[in-house]
Amino acid sequence: MDHFPTNWGRPRNDAHDAYGTFPIPQRPQNRVNDSFSDAVQRTQQPIVTGTSVLALKYKDGILMAADNLASYGSLARFKDVQRLQAVGSTTVVGAGGDMSDFQYIQKFLDELVIDEFSAHDGHDLGPAEIHEYLSQVMYARRSKMNPLWNSLLVGGFKDGKRFLSYVDLLGTTYSASTLATGYGAYLAQPILRKEVEGREDTLTEEEAKKIMETCMKVLFYRDARSLDKYQFATITAQGVTISESQFLTTSWSFAEGIRGYGAQTQ
Amino acid sequence: MDYNGGSVIAMLGKDCVAIAADLRLGNQALGISADFQRVFPITDRIYLGLPGLATDVATLYERFRFRVNMYTIKEGREIEPETFAHLVSSTLYERRFGPYFVEPVMAGISRTPTGKIKPFIAATDLIGCLNFAKDFVVAGTASQKLYGVAEGLWEPDLEPEDLFETISQTMLNAVDRDAFSGWGAVVHVITKDKVVTRTLKGRMD
Amino acid sequence: MVSLAQQQPIQQSFNPYTENGGTILAVSGADFSVIAGDTRQSEGYNIQTRYAPKVFKLTDKAVLAVNGFAADGNMFVKKVKQRLEWYRHAHAKDMPIRSIARLIQTMLYARRFFPYYVYNILGGIEEDGTGAVYSFDPVGSYEREACRAAGAAQSLVQPFLDNQIYFKNQTPAPGTSFPQHLPLQTVLALVIDSFTGATERHIEVGDGLEMYVVLSRGSTALQSLQSIRGVQEITATNDGERVFVIRKELKKD
Repeated sequence: MDHFPTNWGRPRNDAHDAYGTFPIPQRPQNRVNDSFSDAVQRTQQPIVTGTSVLALKYKDGILMAADNLASYGSLARFKDVQRLQAVGSTTVVGAGGDMSDFQYIQKFLDELVIDEFSAHDGHDLGPAEIHEYLSQVMYARRSKMNPLWNSLLVGGFKDGKRFLSYVDLLGTTYSASTLATGYGAYLAQPILRKEVEGREDTLTEEEAKKIMETCMKVLFYRDARSLDKYQFATITAQGVTISESQFLTTSWSFAEGIRGYGAQTQ
Repeated sequence: MDYNGGSVIAMLGKDCVAIAADLRLGNQALGISADFQRVFPITDRIYLGLPGLATDVATLYERFRFRVNMYTIKEGREIEPETFAHLVSSTLYERRFGPYFVEPVMAGISRTPTGKIKPFIAATDLIGCLNFAKDFVVAGTASQKLYGVAEGLWEPDLEPEDLFETISQTMLNAVDRDAFSGWGAVVHVITKDKVVTRTLKGRMD
Repeated sequence: MVSLAQQQPIQQSFNPYTENGGTILAVSGADFSVIAGDTRQSEGYNIQTRYAPKVFKLTDKAVLAVNGFAADGNMFVKKVKQRLEWYRHAHAKDMPIRSIARLIQTMLYARRFFPYYVYNILGGIEEDGTGAVYSFDPVGSYEREACRAAGAAQSLVQPFLDNQIYFKNQTPAPGTSFPQHLPLQTVLALVIDSFTGATERHIEVGDGLEMYVVLSRGSTALQSLQSIRGVQEITATNDGERVFVIRKELKKD
């Protein structure tokens, strides 16, 4: 329905003068009269990006991991970026993809948590609610053709229940006992599934961290947009803990024997 | 591959094999012929189905006939199905970078050195990658549908009459859901001492 | 020079759709309906999860299966459920299945120019107590049928169903005729065969199978259902219709 009566009864195509009224009459331009309105900036591609986020279920809760790198294309641009964010007291959101979009997400999630707190109605947002909210926002933005260019993992522990779910720029969601975004889906997920599936209720935090470290190591060796500096997040009955940044100990001595890999001069 | 349409399936039974093909020849969506034979006898015990581009079907059949004749003359004996499968494969691979648009399906009965008989089926893609299956092989525009129905109907060690029923039902129901195949079908059931060929009536829409 | 309608900056790289694999299937009987779907969710060669339901109970007489783009599917189910709740509040009863079918058509067609990339199959019990299956395309064309498969392995499953449910290309033995409706046990066996077959030959199908069974008031299919291992009743009201779910494992490779 055209809500502008001046257009009624006139040909739809401005270029076609069906009534022979040459010169073609000028129609009112039914647009916002804003000099920037026809140049709206949208995220059409990610710019500063984070790589994989990993997460798994273990005996006492959820363990997540992500490195501290934010890349600008192939340039390792920011090396002290935290990609795991606590939301409320029972949830952690981990992000891959565009870091500016992630900062925007952090901002509105923090506002959301404050709003909920201010209501002081005896309810607080758990991981399931945060995930649902996030997936609605992500889906709404993809439907406006203006996506938030991220793959997000939501991990949490509330009322004795572990929660782990995924949502991405298309609004696609799913959950499983192990999740990985980006290259992690190819390199780490097979390791995680092998080590974790069927052992979710017996795996200790120590064992879980060891598995996770193996995965981060594999990613650092093979994902060119990754870093050996990373953080863990645990979400248990005790609440959220996001570790200090730690380093992977890697060995590159094998490279000496491979031409084109090590420091050979010819 | 769906310029002329057409589909072929072969199934293994107990001491028997069957091969079936539809009879449609089309020009894109337009049906041209309802008695286009795309299954050919190679020897008394080997049948070859050639779904794909009709001009290549004709060309390839003649090439295979030539090569099998040469083999028979040189070796002084009939070609075995396994050998023929490799002949098909290498003939197609010769044209690796300008292939014939045909996906051959073969069925036959081979004789083992001890004198026993062994039913045999095989199929290749258009550049000759061989697939020796122990159940059934399919090819052509209705191949996905043939897979689905065959996976539901086929069972091991079917007697010739049961194998005929299974392959016929598979063929007819698969091609009825395919716009490029159908218009009747032909079925050959090969046993150690005879080949029974039947033409099936199918939906003509 | 006449100025033409000014050009908006157009999106090039962002594709708002993806395809998440899987297959759904529904068959109706005389006084029951079976609605089934596998539980694998994938994107390309990646299995995202081995358990993501595609079949949802709407009411005690209607079950909806969605297949295609998972995010659209989940959103669509959410919106249908919301509309059914509004109907419940306005009319103090559950919406009949033929009305749900028409509702789904209007909801899909409302998005004609930015469609939900989803194939829907609605199964359940009609007001007259008969089993019903409605199938839809992404923009709302629909029809009532006795059986329908959709999704990644539609082309594998549908001709098999034509043969085994509609008895296509079969002739009854002299003096006999084919049954108009199949018994529940036969239908369940065919559904399981369809999915094991599809799992064998299609990479996007597998992991798990969920079969919803909706029985009409006093359906005789109840006995055969109770003998099945692992059947779970999920009926919510006392209207008479009963809903059950049967879960089975499928191959995970």
